[in-house]
Amino acid sequence: MKALFLGNVAADTAEGIKAALPPGLEVAILADPQDLLRLPAAAAEADILVSNHWRAQYPPAPRLRLVQSVATGVELFDLAALPSGVAICNSFGHETAIAEYIIMVWLALHHRLMEISGEFREQGSWRTSWVESGVPHGEVRGSTLGIVGYGRVGHEVARRAAPFGARILAANRSAREPGPGVERVFPLAELDQMLPLCDTVALCTALGPETEGLIDRRRLALMKPTASLINIARGQVVEEDALYAALRDHTIGGAALDVWWQYPSAAEPLRRGSRHPFHELPNVIVTPHNSGWTQGMVRRRWDEIADNIGRCVRGDTLINLVTTV
Amino acid sequence: MKTFFLGDFGGRIAPQVLAKATEELASTVLADIGDSQRLIPALADAEIVVSHIWKKDFPEAPRLKLLQSPAAGIDLIDLPSLPRGVTICNVVGHEQAIAEYVLMTALVLAHHLFDTATAFRDQSSWLAGGAGGGPTHGELLGKTIGIIGYGKIGREVAKRAVAFDCKVVAANRSPIADKGDASEIYPLGELDRMLPRCDVVVIAAGLGPETRGLIDAHRLALMKPTALLINIGRALIVEEEALYEALRDRRIGAAAIDVWWRYPTPADPNARPSNFPFHELPNALMTPHCSSATDGARDRRLGAIAGNLDRYARGEALINVVAKT
Repeated sequence: MKALFLGNVAADTAEGIKAALPPGLEVAILADPQDLLRLPAAAAEADILVSNHWRAQYPPAPRLRLVQSVATGVELFDLAALPSGVAICNSFGHETAIAEYIIMVWLALHHRLMEISGEFREQGSWRTSWVESGVPHGEVRGSTLGIVGYGRVGHEVARRAAPFGARILAANRSAREPGPGVERVFPLAELDQMLPLCDTVALCTALGPETEGLIDRRRLALMKPTASLINIARGQVVEEDALYAALRDHTIGGAALDVWWQYPSAAEPLRRGSRHPFHELPNVIVTPHNSGWTQGMVRRRWDEIADNIGRCVRGDTLINLVTTV
Repeated sequence: MKTFFLGDFGGRIAPQVLAKATEELASTVLADIGDSQRLIPALADAEIVVSHIWKKDFPEAPRLKLLQSPAAGIDLIDLPSLPRGVTICNVVGHEQAIAEYVLMTALVLAHHLFDTATAFRDQSSWLAGGAGGGPTHGELLGKTIGIIGYGKIGREVAKRAVAFDCKVVAANRSPIADKGDASEIYPLGELDRMLPRCDVVVIAAGLGPETRGLIDAHRLALMKPTALLINIGRALIVEEEALYEALRDRRIGAAAIDVWWRYPTPADPNARPSNFPFHELPNALMTPHCSSATDGARDRRLGAIAGNLDRYARGEALINVVAKT
């Protein structure tokens, strides 16, 4: 059997799991998907594709049985361009790291950490100090956290948030029982009831027809004027123009954004994540889609991918099956 | 009931405490402890003093029965110079806020939030992002957190840290009967055995003869080269120059420092907090003694002070008694 590792992340994965791959498996690594000289032959022979995408204009890959995504989201795979019968599997291992990110920015937004430490470091300002009895900052204790998308990440967030003494609500597309720490799970259709209750709204959903543009101008207006929005899901879950206006005009309190509406390309490696200057707003923490990008996540994900490749080679049941084309 | 609010701190909180108290308290306020003309008659009369300072050369206070500190630490109160029969009380209610700060800064340092967010904000660098295939950051999952001083704050930290699947160990001066969420308690005398195991060291001890200068060059050298140090106790527990050099030379990973060796004065309100330029170190996260300065903690503390004054006035048992003369 042959496995094709396509793209940068997949190339790193190949390097990382080399020792764990089944003996006899032939491995082709193509870090640059634009390498049109090598792609046709590699695609023609591959039984397994490890990548984060597949495009319609790619050459045929008739032998494929397993498409193993190196990410959780599989929206960059053009399923129509894949041969029928292919199993599409994704990978996880990121949920604990992302949950840590959410708790981190949840705390930092309440405690105004960026502002306070920046002033202290740069200007020596003790304005916010306890000894100066300055304007107090917030704490998460007693506040309400609303988790939109109560899946793996959402569960990990709730479990970590619970000992902080916050009230935790969740909203989910399909009906879910509230797990540890969660007071109530709203159906996604009743999101409008949950939003006005929250001091923080954390978006943890997948991108799909029900969630694209979910947080629009109307729903932002349902949030408290002091509330913060945390997005680790996908940029498109939020309406870009509406969020920028809400933050600029302080109709909501703040945001931490890790996912974006546009991404860098080889031609434009320093492309901004939005057509609006979110990075100029003082009440926004911006990060480059790296909330889950920890050493631990990479190791956990590599383990899952190597495991699934082994299962495919042996003909065992696959894990993390998203769909079969 | 003659109640005397003394010092800049005691003076500042007087109106809020009096607003929360229900009993009739005849109050005097003196913010400047150097104003002996007013200090002498006020102390001669006072039955209750609200102050976090008591100096050796203070005038006589023959009627004093309750010294209520508005702070947790009583290291600025010179106990031997108080008259006989005085009960000294402190306030708590800050421990949850400080525990939030500890988890927040541990996450921020492990996830490299400031570096990542600053590079993304200022230069639109996606290097730290998963899509860029750049370097990964750390996480708390599975790490060992060592808490020095396992009191109220330490226990609140432990309760939250275990939800991140961290292992919590602690060192304490006196023996601990109830370990709480810690898996192991070391006597303070065996701190040197604990330090090499820790990925994060949290100083949550009070300042006293056993803890002054406790974290010196020798003990910093026992820590892992990647270890994070978080100090929310008192600055003097750590040797200033030794910590500066360990951070500068990267012999420990990073530090979050909220308590300082130097504080602002009316003459120098923007005083740098140390004789060493910690503010020039990229691996020092600095805040101006504000970890406890949350709105919630302030409410809890002012309420606790007012409650104790009411209790005294009604002849009921006091809470938060830390010493009696």
